[in-house]
Amino acid sequence: MTSVSDSAQPHVRSRGAFSELFKVQGRLALREPYGAVGLALPVGLLVVFWYIGTLNPGEVGSTGLTILELWIPTILVLSYTALGLIGLPAVFARDREIGWLRRVSTTPVRPSRLLAVQLLLNVIIAAIATVIMIVVAVTLLGAPLTIGVEFVGVAILAIAELFSLGLVIAAIAPTQQAASYIAGGLFFPLLFFSGLWVQPAQVGGSLATIMYFSPTGAAVRALLYSVFNATPPYTTVVTMAVYTVIFAFLAVRFFRWE
Amino acid sequence: MSLAPVPIASAAVPAEPEPVISVQHLVKRYGDVVAVDDVSFSIRKGEIFGIVGPNGAGKTTTVECISGLRVPDSGRILVEGFSPRTDRDKIRQFVGVQLQDCALPPRITVGEAVGLFASFYRDPLNADELLESLGIRTIEEKQFRTLSGGQKQRLSIALALVGNPTIAVLDELTTGLDPEARRETWGLIERIRDRGVTVVLVTHFMDEAERLCDRIALIDHGIVRALDTPEAIAARAGGFRVRFVPSAPVDDQTLRAIPGVESIERKDKYVTVRGTGDLAASVVDALAKAGIRVTELEARGGSLDDAFVMLTRETGPMGRDRA
Repeated sequence: MTSVSDSAQPHVRSRGAFSELFKVQGRLALREPYGAVGLALPVGLLVVFWYIGTLNPGEVGSTGLTILELWIPTILVLSYTALGLIGLPAVFARDREIGWLRRVSTTPVRPSRLLAVQLLLNVIIAAIATVIMIVVAVTLLGAPLTIGVEFVGVAILAIAELFSLGLVIAAIAPTQQAASYIAGGLFFPLLFFSGLWVQPAQVGGSLATIMYFSPTGAAVRALLYSVFNATPPYTTVVTMAVYTVIFAFLAVRFFRWE
Repeated sequence: MSLAPVPIASAAVPAEPEPVISVQHLVKRYGDVVAVDDVSFSIRKGEIFGIVGPNGAGKTTTVECISGLRVPDSGRILVEGFSPRTDRDKIRQFVGVQLQDCALPPRITVGEAVGLFASFYRDPLNADELLESLGIRTIEEKQFRTLSGGQKQRLSIALALVGNPTIAVLDELTTGLDPEARRETWGLIERIRDRGVTVVLVTHFMDEAERLCDRIALIDHGIVRALDTPEAIAARAGGFRVRFVPSAPVDDQTLRAIPGVESIERKDKYVTVRGTGDLAASVVDALAKAGIRVTELEARGGSLDDAFVMLTRETGPMGRDRA
């Protein structure tokens, strides 16, 4: 009983636990395919659209932008969507399904710590993906981007929005399998709205409006302004903020550890 | 109730030690189903305490309430003087838990898992020494998904012990293991106890409980049917067995008339009767009167298994009504 009663510093080892969790979860993330998808797929697509651009030089429609320039924000959003909707909920739903979160909850560390580390890792991967894409686009592919504070803010908001949606999936999916079905069902419509196949500027009309007010379409539009150091239309930022609040509320509301 | 030996009793321990765990009138329902219905027992420091019973008896629910994973509907639980409900954080420092049906992330290695759990506790054991003592140091680099059933159980024990707990709760530890791995695991559990750790062992294997436990709470349909040493429970249920070869055929009616006989089984030339009292003498006397000689007589005290069958059969219908 002696070692028990003098437990006045319950979080004395919590920093050690956090760094150890970060180390182990980080290694595990490298062994899973999800991080690579969030990193490799967008870089691959960047090269593909650069190549399409070389075959179709000049501006797209009357946008004043080349194919590469127009698609860079879409590919960034694709990376955030892949990380947030596929990787994040799959790992979390699995850890819950197999009883790992329950197992951790019998130790002095809360399972929320696990989720926090998982989120942090995915944010780091998203940041790395962003830096790689911007650097490759500017230095190797010659895109005339001007990155500033506004871009950083918009990118953070886009990541928050799409990761919150991923947490909604993690909350409602009973199994890893279910999480991958839900994510798969949402992934392609969201990619469509992001303009991966056809940009809203090309379709125009009410479809363009729907795309602009979708979670991914709003993010793409805001990013498109900000990569040229322009202030994005406030509607895009408000749309993303509203989605983020709704998704975060739903994720918290329906969250389960078991 | 007889006093169980207290293995690590010493001058430092008072004559009648405080129980490390006390459970009083525990009740837990899931919807309309009563999983645990007024269970009470206390566990002494340093003993291996068995919570035994058939599947669905309420064993796991009971230990989940003890470890703070579930909140009881009513009743009072104290673990080293702390309530698992209100002092969950304190309890998690010194109670190591091995859960039934719990897997690890498939790609985590043995060493990573144990190192990670060590980082969760204030005063953990040396991970390398622990792995060495459990015989899994050599598989430190292996990923969880590649481990055998026995290796997974050893890792699970390692995770329950790495925080240097004073109490270890082990739930269905040997289910799914081959006989050799089971015996090895039993040895490990005895060594845990020898380190002074109080072990709460949940099992539905009566041979396991009989072999390992100092005392047992036998739970069925959420009720404690017996609470004593395995020997006392086996004896109290009167599970004596007498096996013999009669010199002439003997019918069931004659056997049933013998005082104490409760059941009869026949296999080849052997007749086995089970029952209570001075069974062997009664059988020999009664058959001698009927002019039948008894050869190859073999009598032995009942096993816990026999006692369990009797105790749960006696009260079975009542239990079913409750469920």
